[in-house]
Amino acid sequence: MTKDGQLWRPTRRRLLQAGAVLGTAQLASPFVQIARAADVVKIGMDNPLTGTYAALGKNELIGAQMAADEINAKGGILGRKVELLVEDSTSGDAGVAVQKARKLIDRDQVNFIIGNVNSALAQAIANVANEKSVFHVVPGGHTDSVTGKDCHWNTFRVCNTTQTEANAVASTLVKKAGKKWYYLTPDYAFGHTLQAGLEAAGAKLGATKVGGALTPLGTTDFSSYLIKAQAANPDVIIFLQAGDDAVNALKQAVQFGLDKRFHLAGAQQELEVLEGLPPEARVGTWVFEWYWKQPKVAGVDAFVAETRKRTGGKVPTARHYFGHTAIWTCALAAEQAKTLDAVKMAKAMQGFQLPPEIAMMPDGAFYRAGQNQMIGDLYVGHAQSKGADDPEDLFVVDQVVNGKDVSPTLEETMCKQDWPA
Amino acid sequence: MTQLILFNVANGLIIGAFYALMAIGLSLIMSLSDVINFAHGGFLAIGAYLAYTLSPYVGFWGGLILAPILTAILGLIAEKFLISRVYGRDPLYSLLLTFGLAFIIEDSTRFIWGAQSVPYDVPGWLMSPLSADYFFLTGYRMFMVALVALAVGGLFYVMNRTRLGLRIRAGTLDLETVSVLGVNVRVLRNLNFGIGIYLAGLAGVLAAGQLGLQPTIGASVIMPSFVAIIIGGLGSLTGTLLGGLLIGVASGLTAVFLPSATEAVIYVMMALVLLIRPQGLLGEEGRF
Repeated sequence: MTKDGQLWRPTRRRLLQAGAVLGTAQLASPFVQIARAADVVKIGMDNPLTGTYAALGKNELIGAQMAADEINAKGGILGRKVELLVEDSTSGDAGVAVQKARKLIDRDQVNFIIGNVNSALAQAIANVANEKSVFHVVPGGHTDSVTGKDCHWNTFRVCNTTQTEANAVASTLVKKAGKKWYYLTPDYAFGHTLQAGLEAAGAKLGATKVGGALTPLGTTDFSSYLIKAQAANPDVIIFLQAGDDAVNALKQAVQFGLDKRFHLAGAQQELEVLEGLPPEARVGTWVFEWYWKQPKVAGVDAFVAETRKRTGGKVPTARHYFGHTAIWTCALAAEQAKTLDAVKMAKAMQGFQLPPEIAMMPDGAFYRAGQNQMIGDLYVGHAQSKGADDPEDLFVVDQVVNGKDVSPTLEETMCKQDWPA
Repeated sequence: MTQLILFNVANGLIIGAFYALMAIGLSLIMSLSDVINFAHGGFLAIGAYLAYTLSPYVGFWGGLILAPILTAILGLIAEKFLISRVYGRDPLYSLLLTFGLAFIIEDSTRFIWGAQSVPYDVPGWLMSPLSADYFFLTGYRMFMVALVALAVGGLFYVMNRTRLGLRIRAGTLDLETVSVLGVNVRVLRNLNFGIGIYLAGLAGVLAAGQLGLQPTIGASVIMPSFVAIIIGGLGSLTGTLLGGLLIGVASGLTAVFLPSATEAVIYVMMALVLLIRPQGLLGEEGRF
């Protein structure tokens, strides 16, 4: 205690000294990080935890954490424990996503990077990962270009391209609902490519576009678009909205009774959206990218049971599956290449067939060589208000479509990989 | 085509009525307390979630009555302990405070109720259209418009016929004099804030009936109400009501011709009003 009774009275010199010590500690920390990096394999997750895509991002994170625990239980990657480092990319700010990717790569020295739900952010992270030569997996951002014209040797994608989803559902729509299609399309990259994909797929089957409206991302009131859609008198009103927009659009369409006058349908649909709708609004023909009710497929029941344990009884959605498969892809790449060298791992994954208990699809799944796009099954079916024996069984799979039959050819994707010399 | 336009005008009025409900609450707070309440959307979300949580016990109608009242109580508490501390300072302080509060509320709802949409249901008989031709006139939307009319009518009555309203109106014009005349300004502002938040909570319950209920519900519906106030004019409740209806109709009509611009058009209107008549259509000059 000093004489005037104060516990500690900082002098200017003392303050400067303290500052200098703190500053040195900051500089020293990267060395500490590298020392630790030798003990564990680090996987950085740069995915939304806030904003529009928070629900989807959080489900991917649960799946990823499950995979990391499974891998650790089996002895880790190349004998080293796996550690998941999680950053919130936000739902729509590419600047933040890039900054977080750089932080994970430069400061945390991650061996792998995972992300993103938002296609635009996925592409931005892919570019950073490519610049730094880090093995990158996109769990759930769908725009074609990620494994298309802007593809990279080090970026792998688990979820389907929008074109593949469109191709999978088109023939069912023509058969079940008719050939006059009206599009309600969210006004950003994902929606545009999905609509273009459906128009192309529909044209081959004789379906025509009788109209369409671009809806701004984040639209809450769809009534004026729905008024316009019904005036065009189509056979099918196609909803290409995702997430919260999809909930809003469908809820209002059903309140207007449009489901009784037209066929409501779309390409991609998610269990998260159906769960957010009141029972009577769970209608329409859709594509699911994975479904939890596949009684005869290896690994599915165990995956469902483990997810239920971790989420207080909720079943896994395609998003849990994407996160799970993304982390397993990293582990399998390292085991296959016997090293953590990104180039060697990426080479080892060309055409790699996933083990059945990881693929969890009737026809299996593999990464297509020259594109790094996972090709598995797609589930075409219809929504139902209530499952007969399970309240979360909100989708009826009418047909499992093999991704091999509906994926665009490698030439059509326009992917040219830029392997380092 | 004529039918399409008429439908969209009618539909725009319905949407506009809803904008107006939110905007009037905001406008009340802005006028008396000089606080631009960015957390208004947050309180809207709280109202919606409270109704969702309460409705299994008290039914849809019980939720509709209780949730806005509970939201208003939360609003009174927030005003007393947070917002009242920045009165009289530069508006920037309250703006930053409520901006932060909005984030805190959004993340709290995400923490409590989860990030995913939850299904909030309204009684089946309210859900269906009144006739097949006028399918956009559902029972629920008509009920919503009636309720908005009732709330706005009630508010006009309070403002013009009661002592509280007289004091609020007087306070809006000259708070210092009202205070000197013996009115407890602190209580007055507290009550006024509560009324504003009550309207936000009510709007939240009504929104949840036709939109998905997720933590971002407040943020996604609140912007048009700010625009409604600017177009209608600060300090004028009639102006705010008019502003809400105007942008509703404008965005409805735009959907007929250029659907992707429905959102942009209200901001274009706002820019035009700011250029030509900065105080708004019915607003008074010199505020803010």
